Amino acid sequence: MKKPMLRAGWFWGVRILAVLALLGTARDARAQFGNILKKATEKAQTVQKAMAPMTVQEERDVGREVAAKAVAFFHLYKGDALTRYVNLVGSTVAAQSERQDITYHFAVLDSVDINAFSAPGGYIFITRGALALCEDESELAGVLAHEVGHIAGRHVLKIVERDKAMRAGMDEAKAYTPGSAYMQKMSKGILVKLLDQGLAPGDEFDADQRGIKYAHAAGYPADGLQRFLTKLNQATEQGGQSFWTRTHPPVPDRNARIGQTISAQHWEDTDRPKLADRFAIETKALKEKKA
Amino acid sequence: MKSAYRFVAVVISFVLLGTVAAPPGIAQDQSTQNPPPAQTAPQQDQSQQGQEKADKDKKKKKGGGFFGGLKAVAGSSSEQQEATRTAGSKTVGEGAQIGDAQPTAADRQAVSAMENYSVPAPEIKKFQDDGKLKPKQ
Repeated sequence: MKKPMLRAGWFWGVRILAVLALLGTARDARAQFGNILKKATEKAQTVQKAMAPMTVQEERDVGREVAAKAVAFFHLYKGDALTRYVNLVGSTVAAQSERQDITYHFAVLDSVDINAFSAPGGYIFITRGALALCEDESELAGVLAHEVGHIAGRHVLKIVERDKAMRAGMDEAKAYTPGSAYMQKMSKGILVKLLDQGLAPGDEFDADQRGIKYAHAAGYPADGLQRFLTKLNQATEQGGQSFWTRTHPPVPDRNARIGQTISAQHWEDTDRPKLADRFAIETKALKEKKA
Repeated sequence: MKSAYRFVAVVISFVLLGTVAAPPGIAQDQSTQNPPPAQTAPQQDQSQQGQEKADKDKKKKKGGGFFGGLKAVAGSSSEQQEATRTAGSKTVGEGAQIGDAQPTAADRQAVSAMENYSVPAPEIKKFQDDGKLKPKQ
């Protein structure tokens, strides 16, 4: 009689143990599920944040860091009169841009290379080498308008926004602090993209189209950029340095498209002022420095 | 009775499986509840360097640089071909060199001055009138 009772007791013991074990496993499973859910929610929030367009303030913060690096590397050209002149021409074309939620800032970089570029947030730079290549104000207007076109088209910004790895998981409070590791990384990435890799050719063509539109609307001949590009091509063939010819679409392609638009829009502005005399006066000091 | 033994064997198998699967979840719970003690500066540096190295390796594997993954998104195939053509003769690393520049306080001040600089609207108007420019209003 004892044996069956012992067996029954042992069996009940095992059953109780089994139920307890199952309960324990269920608790662990619940904890694991909770963790998975928490992680998924966090991931979704991060992705949502990364997908959101940058605010104007964020754009300005990033652009400021890019501008600081450009200034640190090239240094600004010291000439108040020339800076004022470039700002006057730049403001005249920028006023025609579709994008007026930011302020456009213009500055001259102390470099003989023939370059111009823009950073997010409205920072536009032109080198004294590019200014020296211009023959009149309408060409300068064309170059600056092209750069305004990049900002209006949010070309660089779109790249930053698309790079989820760059934007995701950042502690915003620290991320946008000037000089922070994040800002260093982001601004360097932008400069590499702009000056070494180049933007997508489609974005360059878009900036050309926007630029000629702004220049024309500002009262300049629409072909200023086209004339500048022709000279740029010749200058770089003769050894001049410019990332415009290294990273941008070929000049003949660009000029052909500009010509098509001018023709289609009937913008053959032969009576519009090129302002060669005013340009010569305003850039006299620059050309003397070159000599 | 045989079926009871089978039942016990199945239960034990489940328990063992549960024990193997459970630790990470439990460990995470513990780490959430009890944060690890603050790292010392060298430890932080080491872990940061480790992280940077891992990031670099990751980038190398992708083979595209900082914005490497974007080209396919950014442009069509014909655009990419054109980009390859135009970028063929580029000087390597000018942008990277500028990107490595460390702005001083004076450089940042120069950028602030650039931001604060503005030509008053009447001066812009006079400039346009002098040049006989007729901008669209």
